[in-house]
Amino acid sequence: MSTMLKIKNLHVTVAGNEILKGLDLELDAGEVHAIMGPNGAGKSTLGNVLAGREGYEVTQGEVIFNGKNLLELEPEERACEGVFLAFQYPVEIPGVNNTYFLRAALNAQRKHRGEEILDSVAFLRLVRQKLEVLHIGDELLHRAVNEGFSGGEKKRNEIFQMAVLEPTLAILDETDSGLDIDALKTVAEGVNRLRSKERGMIVVTHYQRLLDYIVPDKVHVLADGKLVATGGADLALKLEEQGYAWLADGGIASLDSDSAAQMANP
Amino acid sequence: MSELSTKLAEGLPENTGVHPRWLKNIRETAAEQFRAHGLPSRKDEAWKYTGLGSLGQRELQLANGTSATGTDSAKVSPLIDSGTHLTMVDGQIRNQTGDLPAGLTLLPLADALGSDVRGLQNLLESLSVSGGKGVSALGFSALNSATLNSGIVVHVAAGTDAGRLVIGWSTSQLENPLLFNSRICLILEEGAKLELLEQFESGNDNANTSNIIVQADLARDTTLQHIRFQQEAEKSVLITRTEVSQRADSEYAYFGFDLGGGLVRHDLHTSILGEGAKSGINGAYLLDGNRHVDNQTRVDHVAGGGFSEQYFRGVAGGSGRAVFNTAVCVHPGADETEARQSNANILLSGRAEVDTKPELEIYADEVIASHGATVGQLDELAVFYLRSRGLNEQEARQLLTTAFCKSVSDKLADPALGEVISQRMMDVMPQAD
Repeated sequence: MSTMLKIKNLHVTVAGNEILKGLDLELDAGEVHAIMGPNGAGKSTLGNVLAGREGYEVTQGEVIFNGKNLLELEPEERACEGVFLAFQYPVEIPGVNNTYFLRAALNAQRKHRGEEILDSVAFLRLVRQKLEVLHIGDELLHRAVNEGFSGGEKKRNEIFQMAVLEPTLAILDETDSGLDIDALKTVAEGVNRLRSKERGMIVVTHYQRLLDYIVPDKVHVLADGKLVATGGADLALKLEEQGYAWLADGGIASLDSDSAAQMANP
Repeated sequence: MSELSTKLAEGLPENTGVHPRWLKNIRETAAEQFRAHGLPSRKDEAWKYTGLGSLGQRELQLANGTSATGTDSAKVSPLIDSGTHLTMVDGQIRNQTGDLPAGLTLLPLADALGSDVRGLQNLLESLSVSGGKGVSALGFSALNSATLNSGIVVHVAAGTDAGRLVIGWSTSQLENPLLFNSRICLILEEGAKLELLEQFESGNDNANTSNIIVQADLARDTTLQHIRFQQEAEKSVLITRTEVSQRADSEYAYFGFDLGGGLVRHDLHTSILGEGAKSGINGAYLLDGNRHVDNQTRVDHVAGGGFSEQYFRGVAGGSGRAVFNTAVCVHPGADETEARQSNANILLSGRAEVDTKPELEIYADEVIASHGATVGQLDELAVFYLRSRGLNEQEARQLLTTAFCKSVSDKLADPALGEVISQRMMDVMPQAD
């Protein structure tokens, strides 16, 4: 498998505060990595900096995505190269029709890749297909982007956008936050259907619950701006049992021996 | 008084010929008013933000009311094909196409003045040309009444739905720019319905000044949709005034779209004189370059149980300047009135300017009123959200500003017309610096 994303010694400052303090991560195509960690660890910063949001200043390190220096690209160029961020708080955009917006976005990406622009008929056919696969009704299509959507609808809309745009690298920023169990299952099922050997995913979450439904290839623990531990899917279960208190109680060694050993040799 | 005012006053026609006394009175009173006070100046409170200096520098020529001799400007293609279409050149009817529906009567104003059109005298006499804030504030109206002759009378018989009437305003191309006056009189009898779509689009060379007044008398249970769409050249001057009287249970819906023009001023006033009448005054203005667009709207709730909403959205880029003043007065006894005012603006450039002011006076009981005026920038998080999906920055900003203005065109009763207008807005949407 080839390395799709290589993050080396990434330092990021937001409004003068250093949030990421030397993060290293490698993701291969086809893999799903979960990033867990306590509040304030820098989880959302990672997603935002990868997507290119303003106000996130990279002071050190590099991010190589499919051989390209990602940090040099504008947000739309990153999107066109196949990066997709599912927002923790999807933005409401009154007056912009969801379908219109998504077609404009898809066509912008297709144009960038030198592919044919889809007319509204072809686009609607594609949309119907995706909706069917995701078991999402078409009621979201006719409304303004996220306007007046419930928390669950907003997150489903993010997954729906992801399904239509078919990114190479998807970053899901706390997509589970604020969801009830049914909505969580729908979202997780949507994500699972998009797993493929060409696509990499980073699932950022505070709770283990989502990982019952999206089983990751690797779990990383992010604390104070760095990855402090990496393990398999069962690491998430340990974290659920034992919380994040061990971070303050002497680090990895204080976790029970099995997982500590695993973390030491990921 | 400015040089221009003096020159225009000297050019006022002699009030001769055989006319009814009331018409002579209207013209003479207005002429006296104009000779004494002339055009408005910045000393008039209502013209504080809109100067006429640039108008004074032109070799303006007052249209004399006879057929123009110049060449027509580019033919305007109508926004929408359906309905009865009238073309007005320099304020006079040039031609009419489309079937005239039963119950709809169209008469050139000059002809109507000599015949006895029911309600016309009252309507014309009801227009005030003096007073208000500042004695010369209504100088353009005085000029219009002093030369009262060109225009059109639209009569809709009781209980008739006259459908859509499209008036395309255009002007001649003459050596010296023209100032023309015109008057539209709308008389809707009980239960009548009409949609009036005014389209101002005279081509790139238009440097003329249009001074147009629309007066509407809405009887009980009538509905008037009034759409005013202007995409005039940057050299043109467009001065318009709309005066509406509403009887019980009548409904007036106004939609103004300012996509162009050099110096644009529109005064809109509706009086709710009968119980339960409704007014929806909506507008969008998009400015770039050196355009100046000034909208002044006022609703007087004289009778109770009425509803009014004023909803305007503005986008200003370049060195554009928008002025918006919205006023509501709920008179004594107009109890159980509901009045809303909302104006939001987006500034796209550091050189653009928006002056917005809501005014609210309430002298009645059980009144629900709200008002809000904002001037701000685009939501940067929304811009990022759109970019993160692949739209470039310019596309993202254009989509957001269009959506902002589209909230006005989306309220139109005819979605097809709304679609056409929103596309036109998107085409001219000012860019951020």
